[in-house]
Amino acid sequence: MTERYVIVGASAAGSSAAETLRRHAPKAQITVVSDEKITYSKPLLSYYLAGQLGEEQLFFRAPDFYERYDIQRIHARAVGLRPEKNIVELSDGQKLQYDKLLLATGAAPRFPKVEGIRRDGVFGLRKLEDAQGILARLPNAKRAVVLGGGLVGLKVASALKERGLSVTVLVDSPHVLSQMLDESSARIFEKIFEQNGVNIYTKARPVAVLGQEKIEGVQLASGEVFECDIVVVGKGVDPSLELIEGTPIRKDYGILVDDSLRTSVENIYAAGDVAQARDVLRGEPWINALWPCAVEQGRIAALNMLGKEMSYRGSMRMNSVQFFGVPVISAGLAVLTPGPLGGRPGEHDETIESRPAPGIYRKIFLKDDTIVGFVLVGDVPIEAAGVLRILMERRVNVAPIKEELLELGPDLGRVLPLIVEHKERFVEREFQELVQTVGV
Amino acid sequence: MERLFCDPRRCVGCRACEIACAVEHTPSKDLFRSVLYGELGPPRRRVQTVGAEPYRVAIGGVALSLSCHHCDPAPCVDACITGAMHKEDGQTVCDVEKCVGCWMCVMSCPYGAITPKVKALKCDLCPDRRERTGRSRYACVEACPTEALFAGTFEEFQRVLAEPIRAVWEGAR
Repeated sequence: MTERYVIVGASAAGSSAAETLRRHAPKAQITVVSDEKITYSKPLLSYYLAGQLGEEQLFFRAPDFYERYDIQRIHARAVGLRPEKNIVELSDGQKLQYDKLLLATGAAPRFPKVEGIRRDGVFGLRKLEDAQGILARLPNAKRAVVLGGGLVGLKVASALKERGLSVTVLVDSPHVLSQMLDESSARIFEKIFEQNGVNIYTKARPVAVLGQEKIEGVQLASGEVFECDIVVVGKGVDPSLELIEGTPIRKDYGILVDDSLRTSVENIYAAGDVAQARDVLRGEPWINALWPCAVEQGRIAALNMLGKEMSYRGSMRMNSVQFFGVPVISAGLAVLTPGPLGGRPGEHDETIESRPAPGIYRKIFLKDDTIVGFVLVGDVPIEAAGVLRILMERRVNVAPIKEELLELGPDLGRVLPLIVEHKERFVEREFQELVQTVGV
Repeated sequence: MERLFCDPRRCVGCRACEIACAVEHTPSKDLFRSVLYGELGPPRRRVQTVGAEPYRVAIGGVALSLSCHHCDPAPCVDACITGAMHKEDGQTVCDVEKCVGCWMCVMSCPYGAITPKVKALKCDLCPDRRERTGRSRYACVEACPTEALFAGTFEEFQRVLAEPIRAVWEGAR
């Protein structure tokens, strides 16, 4: 009998899973359900908002992807799940029978508890329709307030600035990008934003969105009011768990999955921003809501759904972004100031850093001579990110090259002796080939 | 699939492959014209010193010329938010038209084989060189004066590694 695979969600994890399933199972019946009409890249929405990309440039798969891979794509919302009957119920009344199900329902913007936060004129930026809604308002908007100084908040702020608006960012934390950067590197970006005409207020606690017919401003706990015509919220995302409500699927913050990305219910898997999976740095399941993690999880979940046993190595906190032409890549928990959502105390026992020129910054966090975090700002520093990241992920003791870490370029060669020494941790074919090559 | 490998015993660290690579990726495809017109970008292949000491090459240490390994699965392909980085007949290919310079691939590549320069630049296995020139497909392999660079499968390369290196001139050390 033909295997029936159903995937709920058509973004990074869903598409990657569908593609993997088809590659390995030419005859299987593959169905992808999405409440969005088209498949596009959500991280590109801020580029679209800024006018740097058109709608047709948001596709990360060829337009004929579903036809070419013979995947049925249903535009509907999955509203019910009956694990005991292996059925997903859709908003259009259809009932889909599955042999294996992947939940890739993603996440939705988190709206803070602020009076008037749900009113017309307040937007998140998660879906194409959010971006279109913001764009439709721009002709009548002069001033914008962005709530949140995280990645999405600041991408929105720079996009709206490029569109010619006057932009103010209100940040709860003591500095911007508190989930990504340490204080010193965050200050570099605060300065870059200020220099580009974006006002940033830290430790700002908004309490109300003001206005009657239309948005007039945002009020802070201090009583201060920032006048504006549009409000955009960039306060992170929460996993979309509606579909598993009332089912025995175990959840914590997200859907809990094992290293095969299987949920607690047989035949049901989860991947992407909804899945709480192994985190290599935290040692407990976590959601790193990142595009690369979602794609990898989608692929690994699919392989396990196909019965090919494949273990997920785990994700880690990392990110790469560019603001006003200045790139930054950071990874690891040690970078974050200890706090409820940020880092944990005692993550590192040593830091080394260099700031040879304004806007160029390297900081590496170590614990017991192992890299546990880094922040790289500037065109040249970021080139070392991949090599530092793999040394961190594989927990390689870097004591022999500690003096050189800050000068490290994209040169794997310089750390190759360490990789040879720990070759059992570098199981990938390409690493093994290198080890054999230099071993002669 | 055919890939490129470097024999560390033969590599003397001359960086001829870097120059050939950089020139191959200019409009003029000519060293002197590309210097004259300012066309030279970064090479997509780099000669690296294995280990820490910068002068090990000179004292008979190990130099190695490295570029994209065309991994499968490729972390850079997973990381790409635009679909620019993709697999094509086993090769890892970047469609620079689609690249927006988010550098997710730079963060993800454990080999440091992607150069962030407005677009993500990496080894493209010289896709049109053979047809254009009638010579070797790969600029770096052709330029290597000591035949350290090798095009083929890893199994074929292993046979090369198993062969001892003999000097042609008997008086060589």
